[in-house]
Amino acid sequence: MAMLEDFRLLEKNGFRLLPYKLATDEDGAVAAAVKIGYPVALKVVSEEISHKTEVNGVKIRIRDEAGLRLAYKEIMDGAKGHKVDGILVQKMARKGIELIIGGRKDPQFGHMVVLGLGGVYVEIFRDITARICPVVEQDVEEMILELKTHPLLEGARGAKPIDRAALKRMVLGICKFMAKEDIKELDLNPVIFDENGGDIVDVRFTR
Amino acid sequence: MNERLRKLIYLFRPRSVAIVGGSSMPNKIGTVLMKNLIEGRFMGDVYAVNPKYTAVLGKPCYPKVSDIPKPVDCVIIATPAETVPGILEDCGSKGVKGVIVLSGGFEEVGRNDLADRMKAISEKYNIPVIGPNCLGVFDPYTRVDSIFLPAFKLERPGPGNIAFVTQSGAVGSTVVDLAAHYGMGISKFISYGNGTVLNECDMLEFLEKDKETEIIILYLEGVKDGRRLLEWMKKVNPKKPIVAMKAGKYGKAMAAARSHTGNIAGNYMAYKAAFRQAKVTEANDLQELFDFVKIFNQPLPKGNRVAVITNGGGMGVLTADAINSEGMEIADYSEETKVALKKILPSYGNVGNPLDLVADAGVEAYDKAIEVLMADEGVDSLAIVLLTQTPPMDERIIGVLTRASDDRRKAVVTISVGGAYTEAYQRALESKGVPSYNSPLAAVKAMHMLTNYAAWKGKMKKEG
Repeated sequence: MAMLEDFRLLEKNGFRLLPYKLATDEDGAVAAAVKIGYPVALKVVSEEISHKTEVNGVKIRIRDEAGLRLAYKEIMDGAKGHKVDGILVQKMARKGIELIIGGRKDPQFGHMVVLGLGGVYVEIFRDITARICPVVEQDVEEMILELKTHPLLEGARGAKPIDRAALKRMVLGICKFMAKEDIKELDLNPVIFDENGGDIVDVRFTR
Repeated sequence: MNERLRKLIYLFRPRSVAIVGGSSMPNKIGTVLMKNLIEGRFMGDVYAVNPKYTAVLGKPCYPKVSDIPKPVDCVIIATPAETVPGILEDCGSKGVKGVIVLSGGFEEVGRNDLADRMKAISEKYNIPVIGPNCLGVFDPYTRVDSIFLPAFKLERPGPGNIAFVTQSGAVGSTVVDLAAHYGMGISKFISYGNGTVLNECDMLEFLEKDKETEIIILYLEGVKDGRRLLEWMKKVNPKKPIVAMKAGKYGKAMAAARSHTGNIAGNYMAYKAAFRQAKVTEANDLQELFDFVKIFNQPLPKGNRVAVITNGGGMGVLTADAINSEGMEIADYSEETKVALKKILPSYGNVGNPLDLVADAGVEAYDKAIEVLMADEGVDSLAIVLLTQTPPMDERIIGVLTRASDDRRKAVVTISVGGAYTEAYQRALESKGVPSYNSPLAAVKAMHMLTNYAAWKGKMKKEG
């Protein structure tokens, strides 16, 4: 249940997450979705599965009960052979630019914060930049400008620029969080930003 | 700066130097060290310390440092690691001001006990110690020289304003040799090896106040306290630009990294982050290190608009390409400039940027064009391409380009591509302090680094 613990620790530290509930059976998932409000995403929760998408363990943009019941069955099928702790029902995130905000405790420099283009191709594009914590707003501004994909954040092809102030707050907040909770390694990936703010979709860290 | 660090100056400006392990046997480190001082024209007193002799190469020799009857400012130790703590203790009780330990055989082979004893003795007597496992120092102003590579094999540079701080002795010595070869002057060379007592942070703190040093090269392998390094880089870089290079970037990936960040943001990423945070200029190889460092003697450009002068069209185009690919700007000339340039060009020439003076151009055309462009407020820096091979070109151009470089209204780079004949021009230019490059891209990249640094400094000033 590391994922839920990670969620709770972030919430305890003042980060606002998308509404979520853990369900342990299909009816429970339906009830959770009603409470949260469609559309929702379903994610398998299992200590044995580290890349959820590789076992078909993530279903998104579920709009109604029928869709949810189908998605639930498909996830359970994909996870066969693994011990499943439950299914996370999460409010569907906004559409926008997928970023990664990460962090690491370096043996020489201490905590550093990483910002980059997020999603599942992080390792392929490697469009990331880092700073040693603590950082100030100007540092985050420079990090944004260093990204090759920064025009996307400015609003390419008719899109509105993302809520830069919210992004800066989140990066500054992550630095404080890592120091306070003494985090060894951390990923918020993806964090999806549009002009009105950002949603933390997935989280993992090592303490 | 604490008293111990203040005393470091005695290693660069000692009135007397004693070499422990000093010898006259051929091919011995102790012999090279003696010859460095004697043949290198060090002005102070020189002693050898070696129980086997009473004199070495005409200099008095004593069994121990404390046997030397007069005060000793600087002691260079080149004897086996086990002997070092004892010698250091002896130096302390004699009141020696500073010590360089060249010998290896400490932390790097797991002998932390010896390193700890060194540290303790240094603290007890408040003696600054450079090393161990290093080449020590070279100061071209006073000719103190603990580089144990003979001068006929490894040239020593003349005096200048660039301090070179390096962890590695091998790379350090190569850079010293090349600096001398290129005619680049240095203020101080410091190879600090294991950095047991004094490390890169102490060197930055020391060099911040050093009168001869205006630019600093920092060659790092690994540091112990990254945070302290970041603080010192932040403090010193605005006053004395630092060009840094990190070796060992791609160590084994972190074992069992669970996250994306753990996978992609390795230890080098932390160095890179620190360089960027401190606005330190980072070089990615030794060539870039030279390319970048030599431009920092130029005045800081007010912007990124470059004027290109050339006597060969194609080289001008390559330079313009480099300006574009680096994200710099091709300057627009003022009307006044255009009129003035028209007078310099032959009737078939076109006023443009790049400004092609054409192959008929002699030294005078360069002189006039430079003067005109120096006065144009819309130009921030000059990239002067010189084909040395054209018939009207001769060595008077070196005087013209030196004047341009010394003018200081705008930053200047020169670009000459060619073989041995051209290289001779480049060396002549370098020895006059004119930044000279054999590739348009290398020249423009260097200008870009200087422009970035200037922009940041300008911004910092505005924000107070």
